[in-house]
Amino acid sequence: MANKYALRDSSVVVVIGSGAGGGTVSNELAQKGIDVVCLEAGSRLVLSDIVNNPGAMNEKMGWLDKRLGVPTWLCKTVGGTTMRWSGITPRFQGHEFKPLTTYGKLDDTTAIDWPITLAELAPYYDQAEDRMGVSGTHGVPPSAETNEFKVLKAGGKKIGYREITSTRTAINPVARDGRPGCRQIGFCWSGCAIGAKWSTLYSEIPKAELTGHFELRTNVMAVNINHDDSGKVTGVVYADEDGNLHEQKARAVCVAGNVVETTRLLHNSASGMFPDGLGNSSGHLGRNYMRHMTKSTTAIMPGPVNFHRGTRQSGLIFDEQYHKPERGFAGGYLIETSSGDPFGIAQSVGGWGESAADYLENYTCLAATWVSGEDPPQASNKITFHQTERDQYGLPVPILNYDFHANSIAMYEHAARMSKQLLESLGARGVQSTMGGGGGCHNMGVARMSANPADGVTNRWGQSHDISNLFVSDGSVFASSGAANPTLTIVALAIRQADHIAERMGRQEL
Amino acid sequence: MVDHKATRRRFLVAAITYSGLISTGMGAAMLRASSAWAQATHGITAELTQMARLLYPHDGIADDVYAEVIDSILSDAADDASMTDTLNMAVTALNAAQDGDWFETSADDQIAALKAVQDEAFFAAILSGVRVRFYNHPKVWGHIGYPGSSVEHGGYVDRGFDDIDWLPEDA
Repeated sequence: MANKYALRDSSVVVVIGSGAGGGTVSNELAQKGIDVVCLEAGSRLVLSDIVNNPGAMNEKMGWLDKRLGVPTWLCKTVGGTTMRWSGITPRFQGHEFKPLTTYGKLDDTTAIDWPITLAELAPYYDQAEDRMGVSGTHGVPPSAETNEFKVLKAGGKKIGYREITSTRTAINPVARDGRPGCRQIGFCWSGCAIGAKWSTLYSEIPKAELTGHFELRTNVMAVNINHDDSGKVTGVVYADEDGNLHEQKARAVCVAGNVVETTRLLHNSASGMFPDGLGNSSGHLGRNYMRHMTKSTTAIMPGPVNFHRGTRQSGLIFDEQYHKPERGFAGGYLIETSSGDPFGIAQSVGGWGESAADYLENYTCLAATWVSGEDPPQASNKITFHQTERDQYGLPVPILNYDFHANSIAMYEHAARMSKQLLESLGARGVQSTMGGGGGCHNMGVARMSANPADGVTNRWGQSHDISNLFVSDGSVFASSGAANPTLTIVALAIRQADHIAERMGRQEL
Repeated sequence: MVDHKATRRRFLVAAITYSGLISTGMGAAMLRASSAWAQATHGITAELTQMARLLYPHDGIADDVYAEVIDSILSDAADDASMTDTLNMAVTALNAAQDGDWFETSADDQIAALKAVQDEAFFAAILSGVRVRFYNHPKVWGHIGYPGSSVEHGGYVDRGFDDIDWLPEDA
């Protein structure tokens, strides 16, 4: 049963955020008998709250607080961005943990190698895939091939791609783990109305509650992490719905607010001992912000596709994920399916007049690809805070600075060319690509793992280099972006981190 | 030739008349019904409705859908001074480009006038306002074959999510 802990109870681990990282680390710790209080800024939806209406769902679960600079596409709700994600779960490749070694020092980048290897993370990838029910792994069948996947597969084969798969999706093809099989509803980005898509809202969180070692507090905004004279964190101050402040004492704190809120909370917790923000002696907090090179390509096919029928993203091509410098850029990219409602298509295709209307007149014949590619870290891509402007919590308004690196532009041009070939091989016309489409849903870096404390904010466990009982448990710890959609890696790292925390606690080190 | 004096006067009239109507609490419907305005300019609603049609011209979509889109933009603009300015600027600029009567010129000339202002911020703001309302309109969805919400029909698992039939056999 769900537990309740006293604010003064300093034996609990406080987890901030209930999404892929926070929801997972909470459940893993609770399963081991460690008491956890999870603070979530948003409210808790139930399946009947989920409707096939993107605008209405954005009101219910989108992160709508004021932010300046490039937009993100994140959630303030129990489950965090696992409510909005597509469910695509590729792993990082081995070389993607060693970008500096593999690609060399690209101009204007701050690349480092990860302090961990694929071999170290592989067992946790296995566990994560099992927890999430990833198709094509652990006895879960492949995902059903949707119309759009069939287009991707046919076009991919025509132009010589070989690694085309409808596996690697954390949407149940058949009932599993108390959740039903996918009914191809088609509104995955607005929350899955039946719970077939993995989300911590209806998997990790209720499982944690069943342990009796977990309490979820919703509609509470963490505003400050306190520490003692020895430099250990001691508790988290949060604002409740009425704006009243409370402090939950803590044995250890795991921050998992996604990159913007993770940066802001640590920044806002600056003190005399940590003048540049908590755990920021390196100055890397908020820096090295990565989003992936993203690209969408849309085309009018010679026959009906009806890509609104079925999962929003339903398979991928691995052939371009490798590091092949002869293509003119470092790293690689994944080609995935994509789809959109009429408004989304009108927006991504852009323009106006006859050509724009012609596109939409052919809505039932549209097909699209989406690409996620490696994005090198740059010092100038960063999250900072407005000097004077404050939000409803009295917190400084975040400013997101982000520009594509030249490597990403070269990669985009290649990816746009390949997507055009793929679609035209099947008779497509009107092929249009946009760089950056769908950017802002993958957010990484800002508190990266590093072997050398001068290069990052956290160590190989996501533990602060400066503060032994402070952890970062979300995509902020990524030292590089790889090409892969990040959620699976966030979950694998969170499971691994929970093992480490439990072990340290067992040795009385935390 | 553009008569700059006339353009300037027209801009002021448009700005004053339109903002005046809005600020005295008269909504979009009143604005459309304002006979003085209608006589002078064919009505801002008529001009913007024609603009909406040219932005996203679908032959099978009736005028009332475009009019509904513009009504919605006008009624939202009642509480939004910057959108009011945007609409004024658009109407003023289009009429200026057509020597005072954009609405009465040929469709080709109307399109040419739109192209002449397509890089202006007001154009982007109106395009965005039209796009979100028009392509989320159920009649537009019906026309182009997008059915909207599917969960109440059990999704597409039994309704054609994998029924594509024209792909090459060898693929």
